[in-house]
Amino acid sequence: MIENPNIPEAVRAVASDGTQLRYALMEMARDMDDIITLGRGDPDLPTPPHIVEAANRAMRDGLTGATDVKGMPPLREAIAEHMRAVNGLPLEADNVMVTTGGQEGLFLAVQALIDPGDEVLVPDPRYTSYDDAIKRAGGVMVSVPTERDDAFNLEAESVEAAIGPASKALLIVTPSNPTAGIVTEDRLRAIAEVVVRHNLIVIVDEIYGKVVYPPWRHFSIGSLPGMAERTITLDAFSKAYAMTGWRCGYVAAPADVIDVMARIKAVTTGPVATVSQWAGLEALRGPQACVSEYLDTYMARRQVLLEGLDRMGFVYGEPRGGLFVWADSSSTGIHAAELSYLLLKEGRVLIFPGTAFGEKWRDYVRITMLEPISTLRAAVERMLPVLERYRL
Amino acid sequence: MTAPKSLARNLARRVAGLPDLAAPAPENPPIPANVIAAAEDALARGETHYTDRPGIPEFRAWVAAHLLDRWGVRIDPSEVTITCGSTEARYVTMTLLAEPGGAVLCPGDSSRIEGALQLLGARVVDSVNDDVRLLYITPAVYRETALELLRRAEETDWWIVWDLSFARLDDFHPAQNEALAKRVVTINSLSDRLAGWRLGWMAGSEAALRLRAGKQAITICTTAVSQWAGLELARSGDA
Repeated sequence: MIENPNIPEAVRAVASDGTQLRYALMEMARDMDDIITLGRGDPDLPTPPHIVEAANRAMRDGLTGATDVKGMPPLREAIAEHMRAVNGLPLEADNVMVTTGGQEGLFLAVQALIDPGDEVLVPDPRYTSYDDAIKRAGGVMVSVPTERDDAFNLEAESVEAAIGPASKALLIVTPSNPTAGIVTEDRLRAIAEVVVRHNLIVIVDEIYGKVVYPPWRHFSIGSLPGMAERTITLDAFSKAYAMTGWRCGYVAAPADVIDVMARIKAVTTGPVATVSQWAGLEALRGPQACVSEYLDTYMARRQVLLEGLDRMGFVYGEPRGGLFVWADSSSTGIHAAELSYLLLKEGRVLIFPGTAFGEKWRDYVRITMLEPISTLRAAVERMLPVLERYRL
Repeated sequence: MTAPKSLARNLARRVAGLPDLAAPAPENPPIPANVIAAAEDALARGETHYTDRPGIPEFRAWVAAHLLDRWGVRIDPSEVTITCGSTEARYVTMTLLAEPGGAVLCPGDSSRIEGALQLLGARVVDSVNDDVRLLYITPAVYRETALELLRRAEETDWWIVWDLSFARLDDFHPAQNEALAKRVVTINSLSDRLAGWRLGWMAGSEAALRLRAGKQAITICTTAVSQWAGLELARSGDA
């Protein structure tokens, strides 16, 4: 609850809804001049030129007509091949469907699998944009705690402790949005045993799976024995290939689940834009150097941002993957929502409060590394005097 | 690879009543050269990121101006959301404005909304009853029938969805009635000219911000390059 009357009603009114809180801050920032935006997870880097050119070719060649609702067959085959090779998932094309970004994948999975009253176990903190889909299906979210001292890794014991008679699915986001933690292979193996023992479904969002900082590495729970048949894996081109605006992602799942999701998709959003599917096909089939080049860029930025956070007195766990830093701002003594507002209003820097990712995270903020290093340095210089002015 | 039997049992129940996927492929008319050029220009200047969640401001402004010019219906561009085709617009409006267990009054072809209502747990009816929450009509509905139902709507709190996609157009629009205007959502699609680009819109009503949030929760925003292509088509008078 934000009670400070200095915070505009537009922000206070939506403070308990993480998604709407983020959008309220974004819309406020949009109406201000000279803002450094370290809020939304939208890579500032361009979609690689060979991918854009593939889209241009498709448009010029008249290949933009509507596709099957599951997606173009060559793209589905390319995704299956890619996920077999990179993620170790035992897939064929009929286990794959193209989606309008990763978020729609979660929506369709929940619509297909969750009945009213079913519990979905969700690590805390969480990506609150998924709340709506779960609630819309009548699902009930049950939090599974993760801790900074454990780098926000997910523990099998915590998952099992949260399981009740109505538990239906476990949602995993790895690398995590917002914490930048990853769920490590050893933990996923233990979690898989719990999942099988309790006959749960796993919905795993791996959209940041190609943005993992060495020596850490991404691991797909669906590759474990007996897990593919009960795992829905969500991914998208948005983050690794800087393609957020193309709205192209994909889901891997048992074929009968894909069939159901496709029938739901047909009456909710229809097929993915064809031009985006051609771009996605090129992303998978074309040169992959862009992915590692972008990762190197993010690693350099991460270092600059962490040095800045040190100067600000923020404490953080090691960001192991993704495009964010999840930092403990309690040294300021200011509620994170109020802090975010002050940094926007007086520092002209947009970051997101922890409360946008779970009610209890009033001492955390999420900051992206999606600006050039010079801009990140400027952001730190803008934030420091605001913190000095208001630090309790 | 298929799901375990315990899971598979629920799947068939889940899609009971949903249309199958055997629908014929839509027409795929040639895309005008100026539209392709606009799409290429957008990509060249880096329009590859998320757009504003309701859509690019230029397209929303065009929709608002179009409603005013064509039908004299005045709305603010902030009440417009660009969607992934009219399919998404219909799904969002049906599921946010009808209610589980409620009814949608549809005097004509209901095939385009039945799937969404099935997922919501609502139903289609073809005559007025106490469960009706929403009136879904298109220009294809016989005009006297539409006018009679709109007169009934004045005495109720029904939402009204006026679906312009795939229907002949004329000078009539339910939101011309000021008593109803705040409850009228207009839906349209550019699919007849831009098949495969997934572009539509929903506009107007007091529920506009709620509808925008509903769309955001599913697909965040509509494909950026499609929006720029659609804007060019619209501005050239072809939409």
